[in-house]
Amino acid sequence: MSRIIVTTSGKGGVGKTTVTANLGMALARLGRKVALVDADFGLRNLDLLLGLENRVVYTTVEVLAGECRLEQALVKDKREPGLVLLPAAQNRTKDAVNPEQMQQLVNSLTESYDYVVIDSPAGIEMGFKNAIAGAKEALIVTTPEIAAVRDADRVVGLLEAEGIKKIHLIVNRLRPAMVQVNDMMSVEDVQEILAIPIIGVVPEDERVIVSTNRGEPLVLSENPSLAGKAFDNIARRLEGQTVEFIDLHPTHDNFFTRIRKLLSSII
Amino acid sequence: MTSDSTLPDIVSSVAPPSGGVNHNLQVRFKNEEGKLLLILPAETETSSSSSWADIWQQLKQRLNAGDRFWQPNTTVHLAAADRLLDGRQLQAVAEALGEVQLTLKRVYTSRRQTAVAAATAGYSVEQQTPSALNQPLTSSVPLAEPLYLQMAVRSGVEIRHSGTVILVGDINPGGIVVANGDILVWGRLRGIAHAGADGNSKCLIMALQMEPTQLRIADYVARAPTTQLTQVYPEIAHVTPEGIRISIAADFSKSQFLSS
Repeated sequence: MSRIIVTTSGKGGVGKTTVTANLGMALARLGRKVALVDADFGLRNLDLLLGLENRVVYTTVEVLAGECRLEQALVKDKREPGLVLLPAAQNRTKDAVNPEQMQQLVNSLTESYDYVVIDSPAGIEMGFKNAIAGAKEALIVTTPEIAAVRDADRVVGLLEAEGIKKIHLIVNRLRPAMVQVNDMMSVEDVQEILAIPIIGVVPEDERVIVSTNRGEPLVLSENPSLAGKAFDNIARRLEGQTVEFIDLHPTHDNFFTRIRKLLSSII
Repeated sequence: MTSDSTLPDIVSSVAPPSGGVNHNLQVRFKNEEGKLLLILPAETETSSSSSWADIWQQLKQRLNAGDRFWQPNTTVHLAAADRLLDGRQLQAVAEALGEVQLTLKRVYTSRRQTAVAAATAGYSVEQQTPSALNQPLTSSVPLAEPLYLQMAVRSGVEIRHSGTVILVGDINPGGIVVANGDILVWGRLRGIAHAGADGNSKCLIMALQMEPTQLRIADYVARAPTTQLTQVYPEIAHVTPEGIRISIAADFSKSQFLSS
């Protein structure tokens, strides 16, 4: 039984596409057949992050118009044979397709792939509705900021109303040092509001920028950074493995941090 | 919010944006002689924003929020008023009800097309509104029966009810509950709660953890102090001559005795 997962967040710029690209790659490396679907029509990025931009010939719109077969539009990854991308049209807007069409498309992908991961655009309008149309489960990506969490909360409500009950949380771009001195929401703070099970915590990592620009997902690097490992762990947890969460706090309570904590708790 | 009649910052004099609760604005359920009445907001009374998508979302939310209380095989009568429903939408409603083992039997409608669609789908049809809905909305309508919900009122969700609302779960920031009666939150109140929305300033807002964005009782508005909570205990918000005040729940009944 293949799984149809949508990555969504409400707010833009929290890392939906980065998560989708890395997760897809990590799942493929675990030996799964993965189809990534870019549902961000008009503002497609997923092909860039995967380094597949120059191989895109057909897109979803051509498939739906009957101008090509679905298999023709799928872009095979050059590094992982199990991974394919269904690119979004760049010259159209979100209204170019409707939820029924997306559902059909996604369902036909399940015939040959273990995972179908749909990258949702920001917002809760037509593009979002298209992205969640065929999905059976959802990954909510949020950063530890009030605005992102608020939007994520709204999206969780919408997903629940649509009957998508299997929802997991990914907290992205966490800065453990800032959390420690109470300058950033902690994972617990985020979870307290959203009240959905957590499947991964990804630390802020400069190498994400490099990897995005090069089109090489983090999980591919030879000695992956903490963020790369975190993505890999999320993939394993999706597979049903129990993986310990990485301890992100760099310095364990030494004398100074303990004093600082003590002081801040008094104030 | 620390309590023992600590003063939250008051912004009274500002009238809350919404007046009373027009209880025809949202999808609601009503018990009536052994059956359940599912009442859709009338098309004429709602703004254009209350589209089928909104109604559908509200219906799903209500069904999910009361999960435990739907008795299997209860008959549901749909009061669609002047709302235009096609066969597909009727089927969607019936399926959603079926998921919690409720059975749609009868459709009340004042629209011919809806009646035809319902009859085609095999439901009995009555081309009028049921008795309960014929009562005119005069100024003093008795409070509706309390609405019991078990859900998280997430950002963007708005619950409106013309009686008391009992919520098992949190009101998250960005969520709002408006009631003509009291609001009792068995959870965290972080969004907005508006009790006594039709003007009854004796109404109360109760929460296990009171961290609201804003509290409104009748025409009074208060926002929470910006200081962080240090200790958490159940609290009750009520209207005093100085505006909305918050008391520790355990001391509330005592203080009411003393003041009266």
